Amino acid sequence: MPPRLNLWSACRALSVRARPFAPAPPSGPAALARGLADNTTSRPPNPNSGALPASMLPASQPPAYTSKENEQALDQLRMIEYGLTALDPAVEGHKYGLPQLPIASQKHAKHRYDSVISQVTRLLMEDGKLAKAQRDMAIILNYLRTSPPPRLDPSRPLLPGAPPAAHLPLDPVLYLSLAIDSVAPLVKMRGFKGLAGSGKSLDVPMPLKERQRRRTAFGWILDAAKKKTSKGSGRTMFPHRVAEEIVAVVEGRSTVWDKRTLVHKAGTGNRANLTHAGVKGKI
Amino acid sequence: MSAPNCLRCLVRPTAGIPISAPLAAPIALAHAHARAAPFSTTAANARPRKETEKKTGSKDHSRGGKKLQLGKFKKDHIASKGRSPLPGERKAYRKRITLSNDNAIPVPWLTDLGPEALASAENTARVLALPEEVQDQLRAGEAFKPTQCWGMFRKPAVLVRKETVDLANRMQDAADKKQMLRLVVTGDKVAGKSMMLLQAMAHAHLNNWIVIHLPEAQELTTACTEYAPIPGTDPVQYMQPVYVLKLIQAIKRANEKVLAKTYTAQAHPELPQNIPPNTPLLKLANVAKEADGAWPVFQALWSELTAHNAARPPILFSLDGLAHAMKPSDYRSPAFDLIHSHDLALLKLFTDALGGAVKFPAGGAVLAATSRSNAPRVPSMELALAQREAEERVRQKVEGAEVPQKDPFFRGYDERVEAVLRSVQVLRVGGVDKLEARALMEYWAASGMLRATVDERAVTEKWTLAGSGVLGEMERATLLTMRV
Repeated sequence: MPPRLNLWSACRALSVRARPFAPAPPSGPAALARGLADNTTSRPPNPNSGALPASMLPASQPPAYTSKENEQALDQLRMIEYGLTALDPAVEGHKYGLPQLPIASQKHAKHRYDSVISQVTRLLMEDGKLAKAQRDMAIILNYLRTSPPPRLDPSRPLLPGAPPAAHLPLDPVLYLSLAIDSVAPLVKMRGFKGLAGSGKSLDVPMPLKERQRRRTAFGWILDAAKKKTSKGSGRTMFPHRVAEEIVAVVEGRSTVWDKRTLVHKAGTGNRANLTHAGVKGKI
Repeated sequence: MSAPNCLRCLVRPTAGIPISAPLAAPIALAHAHARAAPFSTTAANARPRKETEKKTGSKDHSRGGKKLQLGKFKKDHIASKGRSPLPGERKAYRKRITLSNDNAIPVPWLTDLGPEALASAENTARVLALPEEVQDQLRAGEAFKPTQCWGMFRKPAVLVRKETVDLANRMQDAADKKQMLRLVVTGDKVAGKSMMLLQAMAHAHLNNWIVIHLPEAQELTTACTEYAPIPGTDPVQYMQPVYVLKLIQAIKRANEKVLAKTYTAQAHPELPQNIPPNTPLLKLANVAKEADGAWPVFQALWSELTAHNAARPPILFSLDGLAHAMKPSDYRSPAFDLIHSHDLALLKLFTDALGGAVKFPAGGAVLAATSRSNAPRVPSMELALAQREAEERVRQKVEGAEVPQKDPFFRGYDERVEAVLRSVQVLRVGGVDKLEARALMEYWAASGMLRATVDERAVTEKWTLAGSGVLGEMERATLLTMRV
């Protein structure tokens, strides 16, 4: 709580002290005289000698450990003391230059991967094993990099502005994000309980945000991949199945497209519910 | 007695009673039969049922309403599609090696390795491609490993390092002087030890040496291939016929040209096929058709290769994963004792050669590489390698170099291992320097696998991230988008 402005505080500053101030503790030299770290025997501070120890006096010998670097550092400290900028980057220079500000998000240790990649990697994760999920993601990207360019299906168009199919394997991150963003649904059905009459819930289409859309789409892809059978054995099998499904999505062969169509059909069918009286204030 | 009429509706049945007679029967007879039915059901029951009746009849006496369903909460069983993989097929899929990626951009300035390329210091910090023929030879010898990134580039290529040039020069010197280079390649994890062996093999193939490569020592010692005692040996030695047959076929495929030009020096009456002197060694190798007779054929081949009275090319004998070959194997003798790896005849040939007991007539090299990721602890081997390195440092008068000694309170040392490694040379493979790192990163970028500008800053960044240029770590940091 901030102190209130009142007259008394101003008056207190004008008050007259009858007694002298309490004696302040001895400053500087006495504190230094307590003893150096190498002196193991404890000694009481010498009250009557106000003088500095011998090593603190300017005329005394310089300490034995002086070196060139030490001298330089001391010079710089002195220059700072005089108000000069001793550590001028224009004078000293930087080996690899200064970083550009603001620092790019990928330079942050925790945001170093593409946003789609880091989200999807965490969706791949089981039992909190992030390192395993990352390895799986690397295998998926490697698979996409080495698989032949996809043969696109004109009846399942990808996002507008997608690069030609031959370019996709050389940029596996783009390949993966394109597949996910292309099958991602735009809406989801939200059920309002009891609004459709006789206790039935009323389905109302709700728009999804970008991350939500990606999450739904990759969930479908994972479901499809988990139902596939492995060709080989070993730790590359699960990521290979996921990668095969991603290729199937881009080529338009995947069943994930049907799921998206179903959701969109339900959305268009139920769009009249958006104006339902019970829903109106709740969206 | 059943009523002739339907009791509920009091209507004479017309279509309710099925017509039982065949159509071919006279109508009058059929009519009589139908009329007889109400009094006797025997005839109607005795006739064979028709399919159509089955469908029209009620469904197996099941009543409507609630029914007990067992297992309705079970998960949907995934129907298996197609055939299941045959034994060994899954492993083959896992171990298959792809050497080319059609998506990668061909690098215009990439040149093929020549016979002298790996031994010349000018090629240091350059990436050079393996010629087609050498690719096939190395593939036959199983020099490529599935964990290496061969499948990402248009064409397999190797980085020539300082250590490569050093090794190739040592091999060449030994061959020129008809001596043997006995050397162990060691170093940190993913530093490129197996790659160093591969480069040595490539150098040998390019210079028409005979190359015998044991790709994994653990295949020989972890008791996963058949073994049998060799009769008449004391102490008993064991052959591994199935592995040896595979090895002979690999040698044959990898060294076809050289073996066709090398001829036998003596007859081999112990073999089932008649092999007179002056037969090409390729023909001798072809004798091995089944695992049963493979070991005598291999012995004959070995005695021919090491015969001193004939013209022989230099030989490279190499092994990867040395630690597995330097400890008691997982095989058991008839007395149920563990068999030492050096009592397995094939490994004994290798260890004798590595220890200096065998001399190749035209010289050559015996190389072994240690492994860091899959290696049992062998204190004797670790100590011996450290001692050899320290002795080298003492010889060069490096300050503070001291040869480590045995721990007197430790009983786990193995004298046979020490005897083998007493006089080998040690080549330590560490990180690459920044020049080499830059050459490699430029190759990656030119192949389209690294989408970044390769400048000093990027090279230094990746070099540092990779623990001062450890190659495998550089691959992880740069080439693979996330860590593998």
